[in-house]
Amino acid sequence: MVHSIKQQETGLDYRAKKFVMWLFVVSSTIMFGGWTSYYIVFSASKGKGHGLVLPELFIYSTAVLVLSSISLFLASRALKNQQFNAQKTFLCLTMVLGIVFGYLQVDAWSTMVKTGAVLMNNNAAISLIYIVSGFHILHIFAGICLVFNALMGAYKELPMEKRTYRMEIASIFWHFIDILWIYLYVFLLLNS
Amino acid sequence: MSTISLHDTHNHDSHDDHGHHKETFLSKYVFSMDHKMIAKQFLITGIIMAVIAMGLSILFRIQLAWPDKSFPILETFLGEWAEGGRIKPDFYLALVTIHGTIMVFFVLTAGLSGTFSNLLIPLQIGARDMASPFLNMLSYWFFFSACVIMMSSFFIQTGPASAGWTIYPPLSALPTAIKGSGLGMTLWLISMVLFVASSLMGGINYVSTVLNMRTKGMDLWKMPLTIWAFFLTAILGILSFPVLVAGVVLLVFDRSFGTSFYLSDIVMGTQVLPNEGGSPILWQHLFWFLGHPEVYIVIMPALGISSEVISVNSRKPIFGYHAMIYSLIGITILSFIVWGHHMFVTGMNPLLGGVFMITTLIIAVPSAVKTFNYLATLWRGNIKFTPAMLFAIGLVSFFISGGLTGLFLGNASLDINLHDTYFVVAHFHLVMGSAAIFGMLAGVYHWYPKMFGRMMSNKLGYLHFWLTFICAYLVFFPLHFLGLDGVPRRYYAFTEFEFMQKWLTVNVFVTWAAIIGGLAQVAFLWNFFYSIFKGKKAPQNPWGANTLEWTAPVEHIHGNWPGEIPTVYRWPYDYSKPGAEQDFIPQTIPFSETMSSNMPHDFEGNAEAERIQKEWEDQRDADEKTKLD
Repeated sequence: MVHSIKQQETGLDYRAKKFVMWLFVVSSTIMFGGWTSYYIVFSASKGKGHGLVLPELFIYSTAVLVLSSISLFLASRALKNQQFNAQKTFLCLTMVLGIVFGYLQVDAWSTMVKTGAVLMNNNAAISLIYIVSGFHILHIFAGICLVFNALMGAYKELPMEKRTYRMEIASIFWHFIDILWIYLYVFLLLNS
Repeated sequence: MSTISLHDTHNHDSHDDHGHHKETFLSKYVFSMDHKMIAKQFLITGIIMAVIAMGLSILFRIQLAWPDKSFPILETFLGEWAEGGRIKPDFYLALVTIHGTIMVFFVLTAGLSGTFSNLLIPLQIGARDMASPFLNMLSYWFFFSACVIMMSSFFIQTGPASAGWTIYPPLSALPTAIKGSGLGMTLWLISMVLFVASSLMGGINYVSTVLNMRTKGMDLWKMPLTIWAFFLTAILGILSFPVLVAGVVLLVFDRSFGTSFYLSDIVMGTQVLPNEGGSPILWQHLFWFLGHPEVYIVIMPALGISSEVISVNSRKPIFGYHAMIYSLIGITILSFIVWGHHMFVTGMNPLLGGVFMITTLIIAVPSAVKTFNYLATLWRGNIKFTPAMLFAIGLVSFFISGGLTGLFLGNASLDINLHDTYFVVAHFHLVMGSAAIFGMLAGVYHWYPKMFGRMMSNKLGYLHFWLTFICAYLVFFPLHFLGLDGVPRRYYAFTEFEFMQKWLTVNVFVTWAAIIGGLAQVAFLWNFFYSIFKGKKAPQNPWGANTLEWTAPVEHIHGNWPGEIPTVYRWPYDYSKPGAEQDFIPQTIPFSETMSSNMPHDFEGNAEAERIQKEWEDQRDADEKTKLD
C-alpha cells in the first residue's frame, strides 16, 4: 500500500519537475522578449534599426541548430523504442552540432567586427545583436549540459523512468533554444 | 491512525527518491531541502534585513528632523559618512536607496513570499514538499548571497549605490557620476541579479507545486485564498522579473563595456562622452514593466494571508470567495498594463498617458472588491481579536487609506503636480509598505505555532500592534500634506528652500513617531526569538482553523504527514455553519459526517449525494414527528 502511494507520488514528482522546466522556458522567453521590445521601441523612436546585412554564417549556424534538434528528436525516439546505442549516438551528435553552432556564432561575430559593426556602438540596435546572440549562446551551453546529463543517464543505465525524465528535460530545453534562435534571427532579419 | 503505524510509514517516506540519509546539522539547518526549514530561513533573514532597513530609515529621518544639529555618536558609528556628527549628502542618498531596495525586494518580496509560500503551499494543498526541493534550497542561498553582497557595499570606500531604488540612468550608468555610482552600484547590480535568480527559482517552484502536487480532492476552487494569492504572485514574478534582468544586462554593458543603450549626449565636467543614440527613458520602460507588477508581488501575498486570518478569526466564511479570486486574477492581469503611470512626466504622448491612466484607475475595482469583502467578512462576525487578527485588520485600514491616494496619483493631470513629492512617499508607504508589512506580521503571528511549535505572547503582540499601528499613521499621514505643498522627495535638507522651512517642525514630529515605532519592534523581536525557545507549547489547531496545515503533526517531520496525505472534501471556509456541532469544519471532514449541516449547494449538483441527503433529512423529520407524537 505504502509502496504504491510512493510510486504514484514520484510519478507526480517528475511531472512537477518537468513543469518547472516549462516555466523556466516561459521566463527565459520573456527575458528575450524584453530585449526585442527594447529593439522595437528604440528603432521606432530613432527611425533606424541595425541597418546591417547579417553575416551569411548565421544561415549556416541556424541550419546546424535545426539539424541538432532533429538529432535530439531521433535520440528521444530511439529511447522510446529501447534502441539505447542509437540514443547515445544521436545524443553525442546533438552535442557536437551544438558546439559547432557556438563556433559558427562566434565566427559570425568576428565577421561583424571586421565590417566595423562592433559591440561598443553608437547604434544600440547593433550592440543588441551581440547581447541577444551572446545570451543565446549561454543558453546553448546550458542545453549542452542537459544533453550531457541525459547521455550520462544512458551510460549509467539508470532506471528507465529516470532516463526518460532526463531525456525529456533536455528535449524541452533544446527545442526551445532552437526555436528561440530562429525567432531572434528572423526578428533581426525583418527589423534591419 | 495510531502513532506507531504513523512513525513506521514516516521512516519509509524519508528514504524516498533523493537518497536522504541521516540528518546532520548541516543538512538540517543550513543546506536544508525541507520547505518548512527553508521558510524559517527566509523569515529570519527577512527580519534581519527589515531591522537593518528600518535602522537606515531612522538615520535619514534624524537628518530630516535636525539638519543643523550635530550628533557625535553618528560619527562614532559611521565614520567619515557622518563627519562632525552630521550625515553627508552622499550618504543620505545611499541611505534612501538601500532602504528602498531592501524593503521592497529583500523584506517584502523574499521575506514575505519566500516565508509563507514555502511554508504554506505544501502544507495547505497537501504535498510532501515542493516540486524541486533542491531548487528551493538554491533559491534561499542565492537570496542569502544577494543580502550579503548588498550589505557589503556599506564597507567600501565609495559607499553603497545612491541612485534611488529605481536606479535610473545616467546616474547608475556612469561609474564616475556620483560616489555611489561606482563600486556600490556594481555591487547593487550583482546583488539584484542573484536576487532575481532566487525569486525565479522560488516562483517557478511555487507554480509547479500548486498546479501538480495538490492532494486528492483539492481542486483549484477548494484552495485557500492564501494559496491563490501565492500562486498568482509567483506567476507575476515569473512574467516580470526576467524583464528586469534584460534591463539590468543592458545597464551593465553601458557601465562596463561602453555601449549606449541608455546614454546619449552627456557632458561630464568639461568632457563630452562618446556615447550617443541611447535613451534613458527605455530603462524606465523596462524597469517599470517589472516595477509595477513588483508592488503587487509585495501586496498580494499579504492580501491572501489576511483573507485567511480574517475569516478564521471572524468565525465566518470569507465573503465572496470567488470574487476574491477573480479580483486577484484581475489585479494580476491589469498590473502588466499600468507601468506607464510611473512615467507621466517623461514627455509621454498624452494619448498613451490617458490609456495608462484608465488601466490604472480600473485596478481600483478589484482592489475595492477585496476591501469590501474583508469588511463584509468582519460584519457581525464572532470576532476573536488575536494579534494576527489585529494586524490583518490593520492591513485593511492601510489598504483603504493608502489606496484612496492612488486614485489621485493615477490621474495623469494630478500626478504631474504630485510626481516625486512626499505625497507619493505617503501613498506607497501606506498602501504597499505598511499594508504589506502588516500582512506579513499577521502571517507571522498566525502561523508561528505551525513554524516553531510554540505560541507567541499575546500581550506583547497587542503592545506591538498598537504602537506600530499608531506610529505608522503618525509617520506617513503628515507626509501627504508636505507633498500637496510641493515638497520633493529625496531632498537632503529642508533648510535650503524657504517654502519648505515651515515643514521642519512636522519633520521633527514624524521622526519622533518613527523612532517610537522603531522601538516598538523590540517587543516583536523579543517575543519572536524568546518564544522559539521558551514559548508555550502549541496545540494541534490553536485557532480552530479548517485548512490542511493544522492536520499535520506539531512536531515537524520530513514529508509533513505521517502515512497518507489527507484527502480534501470541502472548501476551507466552513466556519459557523448552521447545524454543525463546532463552529468550524476542517477540509478533511467528508459531508457524510456532517449530515446535519449540509446545504444543497455543497453537493455541486451531484444528484446521488443530494438524494442521500434528502433521505437523511426525511428520516430525521419523521423521527422528530414520532418523538412529538
